[in-house]
Amino acid sequence: MNAQTPSSAASRLTGALLAPVRYLAGIIDLPLRGLQKVTGLTGMASFFLLPNMAIFTIFVLLPLIMNVIYSMTGGTAIFLDSRTFVGAEQYSRLLDCGSYLDSGTCAEDRFWIATSNTAWFVLLQVPLLLVVALVTALVLNRELKARSFWRAVFFFPVLLSPVVVGLIWRWILQRQGLLNLMLFETVGAQPHTWLTDRFWAFAAAIGVSIWAHVGFYALILLAGLQAIPKDIYEAAEMDGTRPSRVFWRITLPLLMPNLLVVLVLALIRAVQVFDEVYVLTGGGPGTSTMYLIQYIFETGFASQLRNPGLAAAASILMGLVLVVLTLVQLGISRTNERKGQR
Amino acid sequence: MSRITLNKLGKSYGQVHVLKDIDLDIVDGELMVFVGPSGCGKSTLLRQIAGLDRPTSGEIRIDGRLVNNVPAADRGLAMVFQSYALYPHMSVRQNLAFGLENARLPRAEIDSRITEAARMLEIGQLLERRPGQLSGGQRQRVAIGRAIVRNPTAFLLDEPLSNLDAELRISTRAELAALHARLGTTMIYVTHDQVEAMTLAHRIVVLRGGQIEQIGAPLELYNKPANRFVAGFIGAPRMNFLECGADGNALVLPGGHTLNKAVPAKGKVTLGIRPQHVKLAANDMGTVPAEVTLVEALGSETVVHTMAAGNQPLLLTLEGQHKVTAGEKVHLKFDDDRLHLFDVEGLRLN
Ligand SMILES: Nc1ncnc2c1ncn2[C@@H]1O[C@H](COP(=O)(O)OP(=O)(O)O)[C@@H](O)[C@H]1O
Ligand SMILES: [Mg+2]
Repeated sequence: MNAQTPSSAASRLTGALLAPVRYLAGIIDLPLRGLQKVTGLTGMASFFLLPNMAIFTIFVLLPLIMNVIYSMTGGTAIFLDSRTFVGAEQYSRLLDCGSYLDSGTCAEDRFWIATSNTAWFVLLQVPLLLVVALVTALVLNRELKARSFWRAVFFFPVLLSPVVVGLIWRWILQRQGLLNLMLFETVGAQPHTWLTDRFWAFAAAIGVSIWAHVGFYALILLAGLQAIPKDIYEAAEMDGTRPSRVFWRITLPLLMPNLLVVLVLALIRAVQVFDEVYVLTGGGPGTSTMYLIQYIFETGFASQLRNPGLAAAASILMGLVLVVLTLVQLGISRTNERKGQR
Repeated sequence: MSRITLNKLGKSYGQVHVLKDIDLDIVDGELMVFVGPSGCGKSTLLRQIAGLDRPTSGEIRIDGRLVNNVPAADRGLAMVFQSYALYPHMSVRQNLAFGLENARLPRAEIDSRITEAARMLEIGQLLERRPGQLSGGQRQRVAIGRAIVRNPTAFLLDEPLSNLDAELRISTRAELAALHARLGTTMIYVTHDQVEAMTLAHRIVVLRGGQIEQIGAPLELYNKPANRFVAGFIGAPRMNFLECGADGNALVLPGGHTLNKAVPAKGKVTLGIRPQHVKLAANDMGTVPAEVTLVEALGSETVVHTMAAGNQPLLLTLEGQHKVTAGEKVHLKFDDDRLHLFDVEGLRLN
């Protein structure tokens, strides 16, 4: 009897707390039962899924379908009923090039400039991001003083809005910004216009986007590093393994599943680069940091001769690339899961 | 060839003293077992010897050479981990070769060592598999193989059998003993299982709370435990302990019964008697009355739980089958030559 007292007291407390819930449940019980009689058990499941499905339909599915329809219409009108059907004309305009290697020979040269800019961005940003994330994770995995503090420091930019990231770095990099001030104060250098120099603007776009996202990827890699049993490193120590060989032969292969995930996620994100760079450089100087999303945004909404149909077609072409990448990512995480089960 | 000597070895993590003043001399070729309850510092001690951790005080010598600051790989020792710690992304062959490649041995030498170890451990057909494709017992063999190929001067094994099922544990235990006999290499074997310690060891070190309780051959520990802790730890079922009084030449059990036994002490003492050394007696001459509370008939032996000497629990194991039932009043006869006496501090008196 004695041993039961605390648990029965606890159950009395939960009972009291649950009373209003029970009361409400009692009220809706009857209509729900009635509904279940009509719909059956699986029907009830659909009923409870309805709110989520509605949100998904309104904000994802419908826009997607409309986007496909828009991509097959022409003109500058916003509303569908005042647009004319043009079939695949927008697509053929996008893809109409004398040579795909020279945007000057293309009918829609800005699309190809944006595409090649994006390709260069992806090609340089992703490997760099991966290396920086890996180094960060390796350092944070060591027994540092105030390790949690440093982890938070590296993760912090991830929590910032991209617009804030763009603004912060513009304050630093603009002509009268912090960097030029510091260079002047320390070595007396003349101010340099970082963001209007083709090379430096591109470098800044890459650097800032890495700074903004590296914490997220480092966190994934850190989790991977911590999942490697300490014993394995001790076995390697007993085996007399040099640190560089430990890295190449043990850490890296065991981290490979996480690295693959990070690689694909970073690729998907890099293809969609836009907000922080747009705030930082506005796509300039000229079109040198104009990427695909910016092209789509400006073509569809921002330019004087807006062309929603062309923008929609471009976004669908880009979407296809993302679908392929996402399928690759799904494939990888499935394989990882299967490996984990073994 | 190696003799491992520990001198006043101590290890602390901050304020926590995990090992205190460990003095130990492990002679060449010996199979030494560290045994003790979980958390007593066995693994910590082994890790100091291995070089995976640095002691806070004291000396570690291998063949007379001070190795306190010698890196693990240069001590010539090989370790088998409790978790096996195989490299999961490498084949068995690569696992075995890894340490040898680090030492830049010629390929032919590496191959011949692997072939030899694989033959000895009967894992030849597993060489191309990954650890994930092996059973627990096979992984265990690979872990031992990885130690063997390095030709170490001593093997360090940390609870190597604890992840195997009971049956496999017994057969692998015998194989390990055979392996040691064949290689003749010094072996330090850590376990919390006293049966494993008794069956394998040349000498056993019993540890508790980071200190050595007793060092000795298995039967020495069984027959003459130095203190109450060792007495209770070695032997199964556990030794019975009865609190009683002593007046120089007799023991007075609670309840008034006396046992004639020369006792080099007066006052409170603890009487220890193993369950195997208590018999049922036909009459009450020089016996202790008891009441049976539970009988476990195992066929080959019968374990009888009783309450005796002022309601203290007392267990006896009788060979063969006996007609005893719970609730029955019985008389117990203690084997006078097998009585262990401990003072209030738990130290052996006789
Ligand atoms: N790195 C460490 N930091 C702090 N305490 C530790 C550390 N390693 C072991 N200990 C402590 O040392 C004691 C002995 O541990 P261990 O040697 O693993 O015991 P055993 O192997 O005998 O079970 C335990 O109480 C454990 O909590
Ligand atoms: Mg241990």
